[in-house]
Amino acid sequence: MAPTPREEAFADSLIGRRVPKLDAPDKASGRTRYLHDINVPGQLHAKILRATEVHARIVSIDVEAARRVPGVHAVITAADVPWQRPIGITKDHMPLKADIVRSRRDEIAAVAADTVQAAQEALRLIRVAYEPLPIVTNSAQALGPGAPLLHGEDLRVPGRNGALEVVHKACSDNVSMAYEYGHGDVSQGERESVVVVEDVFWLHYVTHCCMGVSGVIAEFDASGSLLLYSNTQVPFLHKREFAELLGIDPGRIRIIQPPIGGGFGSKLDIYPFEPIAIFLAKITRRPVKLLFTREEEFIASPTRQPVLLKLRSGCDREGRLTFRAVDTIHDNGAYTSWGATTPFVMMQTISSLYRVPHCHYRTRAVYTNNPYAGSFRGYGNLQATFAVEAHMDKLADALGMDALEFRLLNAQDPGESTPQGMHFRSCGFKECLGTAAERSDYAAKRRRNLEHWNDGNPVKRGIGMASMLHVGGGAKMYPSDGCGTIIKLDDFAKVTLITGASEIGQGSETVLALLVCEELGLPIDSVTVVNNDTAITPWDVGVHASRTTFIGGNSAIGAARKAKRKILEIAAPKAGRTPDDLDLRGGHIVLRATGERIQEIGKFLRSLHFSEKAELVMTTYYYEPPSVHLDRNYKGNVSAAYAWATQVAEVEVDTDTGIVRLLKITAAHDVGRVLNRLGIEGQIEGGIVMGQGYALSEDLLVEDGVIRNPNFRDYKLVTAPEIPEMDVSFIETMDGEGPQGAKGVGEAPAICIAAAVANAIYNATGTRIYALPFTPEKVYRALRGSNMPPKWPADAA
Amino acid sequence: MAELRNYAAPRSLAEALQVLASGPATVLAGGTDLMPQSRSARVRFASTLLNIQGVAELRGVRRRDGAVEIGALTTIATLRDDPAVRNGAPVLWQACDHFASDQIRNAATIGGNICNASPAGDTLVPLLVLDASVVLASGGAAGILERRLPLSEFLTGPGRTARRPDELLVEVHIPVPASGWVDRYVKFGTRPALDISTIALAVGGTLLDGRLENARLALGAVAPTAIRAHDAERVLAEGPLDRARIDRVVDAADATIHPISDVRASDWYRRELVHNLLRRMLTDVCPN
Repeated sequence: MAPTPREEAFADSLIGRRVPKLDAPDKASGRTRYLHDINVPGQLHAKILRATEVHARIVSIDVEAARRVPGVHAVITAADVPWQRPIGITKDHMPLKADIVRSRRDEIAAVAADTVQAAQEALRLIRVAYEPLPIVTNSAQALGPGAPLLHGEDLRVPGRNGALEVVHKACSDNVSMAYEYGHGDVSQGERESVVVVEDVFWLHYVTHCCMGVSGVIAEFDASGSLLLYSNTQVPFLHKREFAELLGIDPGRIRIIQPPIGGGFGSKLDIYPFEPIAIFLAKITRRPVKLLFTREEEFIASPTRQPVLLKLRSGCDREGRLTFRAVDTIHDNGAYTSWGATTPFVMMQTISSLYRVPHCHYRTRAVYTNNPYAGSFRGYGNLQATFAVEAHMDKLADALGMDALEFRLLNAQDPGESTPQGMHFRSCGFKECLGTAAERSDYAAKRRRNLEHWNDGNPVKRGIGMASMLHVGGGAKMYPSDGCGTIIKLDDFAKVTLITGASEIGQGSETVLALLVCEELGLPIDSVTVVNNDTAITPWDVGVHASRTTFIGGNSAIGAARKAKRKILEIAAPKAGRTPDDLDLRGGHIVLRATGERIQEIGKFLRSLHFSEKAELVMTTYYYEPPSVHLDRNYKGNVSAAYAWATQVAEVEVDTDTGIVRLLKITAAHDVGRVLNRLGIEGQIEGGIVMGQGYALSEDLLVEDGVIRNPNFRDYKLVTAPEIPEMDVSFIETMDGEGPQGAKGVGEAPAICIAAAVANAIYNATGTRIYALPFTPEKVYRALRGSNMPPKWPADAA
Repeated sequence: MAELRNYAAPRSLAEALQVLASGPATVLAGGTDLMPQSRSARVRFASTLLNIQGVAELRGVRRRDGAVEIGALTTIATLRDDPAVRNGAPVLWQACDHFASDQIRNAATIGGNICNASPAGDTLVPLLVLDASVVLASGGAAGILERRLPLSEFLTGPGRTARRPDELLVEVHIPVPASGWVDRYVKFGTRPALDISTIALAVGGTLLDGRLENARLALGAVAPTAIRAHDAERVLAEGPLDRARIDRVVDAADATIHPISDVRASDWYRRELVHNLLRRMLTDVCPN
């Protein structure tokens, strides 16, 4: 049957199509100009001297010889910037260390020179004398009696009036941050249980490994305003923070974001290298460029939060969860960044992934002399999910119940509000479970694999399942969780989309352009996206919490709808129609009912512009999601939507070597709605590989505070031959608040992999491993019963 | 950086040898080990950097008089694509196939891999099983002197070889195995490629009536150099490859190795891998 004119008119919908990323041709052909490719006339190159001790008092720093190196313009230490102020989530971290170093990444001095070589030569000539202090590199020991205190004294810096003020209070127990959440009565839950399991899990150090190493260019103009070329994911928040740091008006700071070579959460905080480059620019009155080496990137960029986690769970005879109790010790490292705030996400998984009537959660983030953790795709959820999903299998097995049935019985439904205050307006969790199980033949394989436990073949197969819940409609952690958009249409119906939402490789410009084109009935190549300059773009919180498609998308749609409304309201009377009779499709103003074309949009815009009314179509919109802040008890509907997923991992375990090969991932994701199919496939596949690295090969080895493998030779990222077969299904629940029904999905695919792989290894071998990663030697030792499972420290009751 | 004063890029072997004869020089072939090592200050440049990449006569694979002769500058990629290597020395071909990444295979040379003398060097274990020897040249315009050394004598320690400062490794000499020759190779690492061996193993010999005759067994990353396991070879030669003999071969190999613990593996785990993979390999050679 031939399509009707209306069907034809709407056949050009972009939603769900495979749209290549707008920036792909430039990136694939090497034309993209990253920060590394940008050089500003007159710029100096900066390098940082880091500590050679893990914990020590600085006795003296001699920079005289360094200052004499030809080409060196400045050598600075803390003494040269007495006005410096602390950075970090709790303001416990001075960019340049004055008297004490607390980790091997600590910044002691910095050089600005004509060339990188001169700067390096100057670093080599700086002499630092230390007096070692007792170190503590185990978070349990740091909690124990008599442990050295890392921030045992008030941190004082000169205030606005010159007098010293306390910016970070003395910490008498090494606990940098603490969290406690509860609902119901865990002891009642215990009494109602027929099965109770308790285990301790260790979640290790990994790091982001952005292909583009960290860097910044700082430049002051003659009036003292600061221009930063920065890789930040949160330009508007940082604008304000840099202003506080420098004691200047935030209006005098402009941040330009060149294309970023990977973020994944690592660029959510300010790190010492940024203020240091600014100090050097201020002192030398020259633009200063600072780029990390790869080794520096490993040593001095943040890690994922390492966690020691104790989980106790129970269920009743019918298989309903009765309670869950969690205690964690987060190794905070020497300073406090976002890693210490991962409990915000972890407690959501603990309290609300499955229905749990009684729940208690506690975290202490503890100072040590180790590297410090930041935010990283998934934000604590990989860690929490790892433990929760191990117990879902263990409880089901103990009860003799099918593991899928057990999960379905406890899974959340649409419309539920959880005791923590999360409201699931849309929820495809059960469809995710069913789809992933069916497409992977989970139940039958899981049964069959058990028959091979003792068959003499050293190579075993296993299948394991895990699911996740994550925010999918932003997360209200700041006073506003909004995003602004400006749209202008030119005389030829070309659109400039000016958005606060940053592109960090995730494909946001493409999906935002797609949403705008869908509203305006224009082809995708008619859009230019401007998203990289705080002097131009409207405010946005930044790229985090899988929020950009949802928040930036709703904002872009809002601006596009205003533009559309304006066009239709002016066009309608001329056509003898009402605005609601009309629509924009295929580059034309059309009759909504029939698709009949009335006028080409460009022609309409020209006639509007060059008429007596002389108007342009330019609109603005600010979208603020209908979410709330968590209250003091960590309760509240913090996101406008929630994303769900189930992933099934199939593995092969060679028991002669301990090597685990990931054969296949079957994933089902509740994404609300697929917008750009190519983009979302890329996000899911990339996330799966990142989760695979976390599960199987990536391991930042930290021994006595020292990173032993700061290189890609011994820090093993997943390479192409190891990537498993993937079968990805999208569950489209059409969220009512989401842009065209979509939810955020950026973090989701990385979250379940390690948990699913752990369950698969158990299914293959009968051995459950409680500590990540599953590298060959660790697995081999576990299979031989010769590894030490993680233990809960006696001191940390 | 070290005090690098001279750079030489000769076009002929004689010129290259003359440079070596005139004083200390650091030899640059593919550069895939030298560059990262010098950057991390594990290798200090001598005052002269001798880039031999322009010496065309050191490239290429020849089959001559029952031997495969490989020029020292032949890249790993060339070896992997060479039918003479694939057919004549499959165990070496496999090692080349698992060697680092395409980019590194395109630059790295067999001479460089040998002279780097890493205990985990990828080509060393198969070359030992193939009973390869290396040809070292010295001299200059007045004449070129050559000597040939079995690879097992050439490798003297981690990063150390029997090469004199005035010598250049010019050729690798591999006798073509007799008919009936079988071999196996295993490189064990976290990743299938682009990885440094946790351990590497190769075994070769002539299979006759369930026996592995003239057997050779080599191991990598379990001693200061890649090594032949002569005691284990003797056990192999004594009789049919049954389960009891395999156990004794494994015991003999275990007594030969001295693995260390490092960032990649513990000594205990390396021993376990040698036991399990050697047993698996020998069972595979002779399934009965």
